[in-house]
Amino acid sequence: MEIEEDRGRLAEDDPFELEVRRVFQDTLGLVHLALVTHYDLEELEAIELEKDLYVWFVRFCTRPGNFSPIQSRPFLMVACCQFAREYQKYLIGTGVRDSNDKLEKLLDREPSEVARDFARNLQFLDYRNPDV
Amino acid sequence: MSDSARVIRFPARRRQAALIDPEVASTRAREYLSASTEARSEGGLVRQLREPDFLSAVCRLLREELNTAPRTVAKESAAIYDLLLAGEVKCGVFDEHEFFLGETALLSAGSLRLLGDRDAAECWLDRAEAGYRHTINPAPPLAQVAYLRLAIRYDKRQYREVLELLPSALKSFDVLGLPVEAGKARFLRAMTFKELSRHGEALAELESLKNFLAQGTDLGLHGQVLIETSAYAYGQGRKSEAACDLRRALVLLEQAGRTIGVAHVHVTLGELLRNEGNLSEAVESYRRGSASYLSLGSLAIASYVRVLTAETLLAADRPREAEWEILQALPTIEEQKMVPEGFAAVALLRESVKRRKTDPNALRELREHLQKQN
Repeated sequence: MEIEEDRGRLAEDDPFELEVRRVFQDTLGLVHLALVTHYDLEELEAIELEKDLYVWFVRFCTRPGNFSPIQSRPFLMVACCQFAREYQKYLIGTGVRDSNDKLEKLLDREPSEVARDFARNLQFLDYRNPDV
Repeated sequence: MSDSARVIRFPARRRQAALIDPEVASTRAREYLSASTEARSEGGLVRQLREPDFLSAVCRLLREELNTAPRTVAKESAAIYDLLLAGEVKCGVFDEHEFFLGETALLSAGSLRLLGDRDAAECWLDRAEAGYRHTINPAPPLAQVAYLRLAIRYDKRQYREVLELLPSALKSFDVLGLPVEAGKARFLRAMTFKELSRHGEALAELESLKNFLAQGTDLGLHGQVLIETSAYAYGQGRKSEAACDLRRALVLLEQAGRTIGVAHVHVTLGELLRNEGNLSEAVESYRRGSASYLSLGSLAIASYVRVLTAETLLAADRPREAEWEILQALPTIEEQKMVPEGFAAVALLRESVKRRKTDPNALRELREHLQKQN
């Protein structure tokens, strides 16, 4: 995913946005995995959603009282699962895409619950990158 | 690209998802807030509310004005909330629409509380909760809602409930890493102790807060704490320390743009000077206080301060000026039903002023009645 493509402003001078960007990039592999492997999104659909997730995550990290970008990654995963679920439900509901048992089961689960499973992988990422 | 990806545009994906430079967003937010209602709709300014960065800048500006222009903030935030709720504008992606419903409702609640409209403020807090509840991380904003609910309970003199519920709110602020909110909650606890005449505990909390806030975390709150410590210092006979704290409070509150606090300090300083026998400086301080309250639209408190000014002017043997202050105060006192209908002191006072012989007993009775209301 190319973040610059859909951003509308530059981050070079803003250390906070650079930090958000770094955290997002570090988590992007997991986000992509959730969208494509679990929620059955097409590659290009996933890339489009990731762009929205990025701008949302920048704003989310600036909300009053929210934690640092690195501590906010579990919320990024919740947003990712929630958006993927709504998107797939939208496609299935409009008849554009057929469902299957595996997808149905996943769509029945709460996005926060699915995201919690992914959060374990975030801890694994931290283990691999001890500086975070 | 798959067919579905080419054909289907998911409804939540919109142009307004793009980020806007914070300075550009602030400039546009200022233009929006200074424009008239007609100019906003004719110029399509309202459409900008779809953009989260723009709306975020508007909320930030309104938050900055909360203590100086609560009436404006109440009006603006309620108007934006209504537009968002009616679906006339759909803001951002994911939970952003709900987040801004919460933000604008919380701003309305905070401003209405400052204006003394507690029932309406509580209603707006319910709306704020309803919005925040659907966001991805509701804990920090809901902790702020919880604090404001406690502050309203304090205003309603429900002190036992405040003391019972405060530890939980403080724990939330500590866990969530919100030191400013934690400071405000501790101040609320100190003020509750004070109201319950538990002065030792109140003073201990205030002194601890004073040290904590000296780091510059919250100038406005630091000013408020100094107002209270000065009152205790004065009560314990440390008069110069009291005056010193009050003057420092005035500087801090002015720096923080806390007009309500500044107004309060002027009145408190007036009381201190009056008790010291410095009547002419007391009058000046009271006048600055009532002018500040008037600029905030707090007409009732401004009228009460005018009554205090009139009493001080009579004591200083300046009856003509006292008459003028009373004549300025009485219409608001009656219009806002600050005294019961047929309250004898008001009639006596009006009559005595007409005869240009102000009745000091009627004036005192009125002041005492208003003092109880405040």
